[in-house]
Amino acid sequence: MLGALVCAVVALLLALIATVFVHAWPSFAHNGLSWFGPGGNVDDQMEAISLSAQTGAGYVYTFHAWPLIWSTILITGGAVTIALVSALFSAVFIIEFAPTWMSNILQPVVRFLASVPSVIYGLIGVVVIVPFIGNHFVTEPQKASVAGVISLTGYSLLAAVTVLTVMIAPLMVSIFSDGLRAVKPGWLEGSLALGVNRWRTTWKIGVRSARPAIVAGTVLAVARATGEAVMLAMISGSVGFAPNPADGLIFIYEPSRPLAPTIVKNIDQLSSKPANATLFAIAAVLLFSGAMVSLAGHIARRAMRKYGSA
Amino acid sequence: MRSKTLAIAAITLLGLAAPASAGAVTLIGSGSVAAQPVLQALFATYTKKVNHKVHFTYVADGGNAGVKDVQNGTSQFAGQARTPLPSDAGTTYIKFYLDGLCMDVNPKNSLSNITIQQTHDIYRGLLTNWSQVPGSGLDTTIDPVGRDTNGGTYNFFLQAVLNNEPPASNVNALTADGLVVNAVKQDPNSIGYAGLAWQKKGLKTLKVNGVPCKASKISVEPLKYPLSRYIFLVLPGDGSSSPKALVKFIDWARRSKLAGETILKAGGVPAFNKK
Repeated sequence: MLGALVCAVVALLLALIATVFVHAWPSFAHNGLSWFGPGGNVDDQMEAISLSAQTGAGYVYTFHAWPLIWSTILITGGAVTIALVSALFSAVFIIEFAPTWMSNILQPVVRFLASVPSVIYGLIGVVVIVPFIGNHFVTEPQKASVAGVISLTGYSLLAAVTVLTVMIAPLMVSIFSDGLRAVKPGWLEGSLALGVNRWRTTWKIGVRSARPAIVAGTVLAVARATGEAVMLAMISGSVGFAPNPADGLIFIYEPSRPLAPTIVKNIDQLSSKPANATLFAIAAVLLFSGAMVSLAGHIARRAMRKYGSA
Repeated sequence: MRSKTLAIAAITLLGLAAPASAGAVTLIGSGSVAAQPVLQALFATYTKKVNHKVHFTYVADGGNAGVKDVQNGTSQFAGQARTPLPSDAGTTYIKFYLDGLCMDVNPKNSLSNITIQQTHDIYRGLLTNWSQVPGSGLDTTIDPVGRDTNGGTYNFFLQAVLNNEPPASNVNALTADGLVVNAVKQDPNSIGYAGLAWQKKGLKTLKVNGVPCKASKISVEPLKYPLSRYIFLVLPGDGSSSPKALVKFIDWARRSKLAGETILKAGGVPAFNKK
């Protein structure tokens, strides 16, 4: 009975993957590897794709997704990096250093934060963070320097990374602290008994043996960040623009749109066959990267198994 | 035992499906892309709240193609955003509702009137600084905001202001009318467009070519407000051969209060509906 259930779940998963890739195939088949490359304005391409179903002059599939992929890499990478560092120190503090009464309060708070629906963060982003960045951080000369190309109105990398960090950090803290708590007390006590100070003990024994949990938490956070759609659709800016670090500081104020929000934004075009294929192609890329991240996490955890269980 | 359960399930399913198909009518339409969001909202409201048995399919293949579909009988009605042309012989145009867009700026902007040409230049990226728009009292970079391609307001703006040229890349395309309004409220340098239903506190509604954006100006003939136009439904012949269900629907959509609210919510301006 349970075996049948497992088989059914696996079959369902395979069916899901097959559906996505079958729908996506025309888009990949037409563009080949240049699907992932730069070239032209991705928004204009998407519009041409959607409209081509109505003109009767044959479907258009040309799509170069690099600005969307680059935006996904920047936003996810930025948020996960910042969240990893801050979450690690927060977890160490909660488990090893905070007085009992404080960690008794902090732990449920962190758990609660980790479960707040992302659309709420999106709302706060739109009404508080985006206008704040637009009205206080971005200066007039900066706006004038890119006038006519993009608008620096607060819908930006900075807003997206900030809100995404706040969104995924509690998840990481929560998993990291579970990992730290599971470290065998004997190991820590042994180190302390040898006269090693508390900070060094925590860092060299506690954090080191909790590494599998840290990898697991990071993998989950990367997955959540890559797949985040609604919140980013609200605050990342909706232009298919590739922010260029060579532009200097202004780069963090530039708008962009990652892969997942692109699906949300164009959902009305699903009835257009070529647009449907393109959106499924984006979904396939997200699905594939999700699988790769979880595989990488699995391999990393295997390599660390000797340090402890998690 | 198992086969009995299956049989019961099958009968129940049939029982559920049967009343839905009995006497059901599907009305087939095609035409204007600009009218699609409002039409689809009306279809949904009608099927859900007025008559469960009437269903609609609508293919947004463009107004001209829609009229052709009506002429050769593949569609029972068409949505159309332009006035009749000689090539539309053998069809009847019915005034359905109005498209009306207001141009909005932040209250900190002292501009009170904008021309269609200025609006065009701003959204095409030709004017990028408020100092290029006399009367604004600002010398900052313009932040134009608009809808993404899913919105009916986007389609109307594209045709009425941009001559079907795509907006410049510095136009921030937001996913909902409410977000456009929110952006204009919060950013002193922005300009945006939204339907009548959105004109509330915190926004400054501009006159366009000197005509204020008010329901009284949008829906009263002759249409003096530049960003307003009729959306028509096109029927074959003189309209008398149309199925009864369609005639009933059109009457409901043009007159009832519920339909008026639906049109307003979807971005149009009701023309004849009870208030």
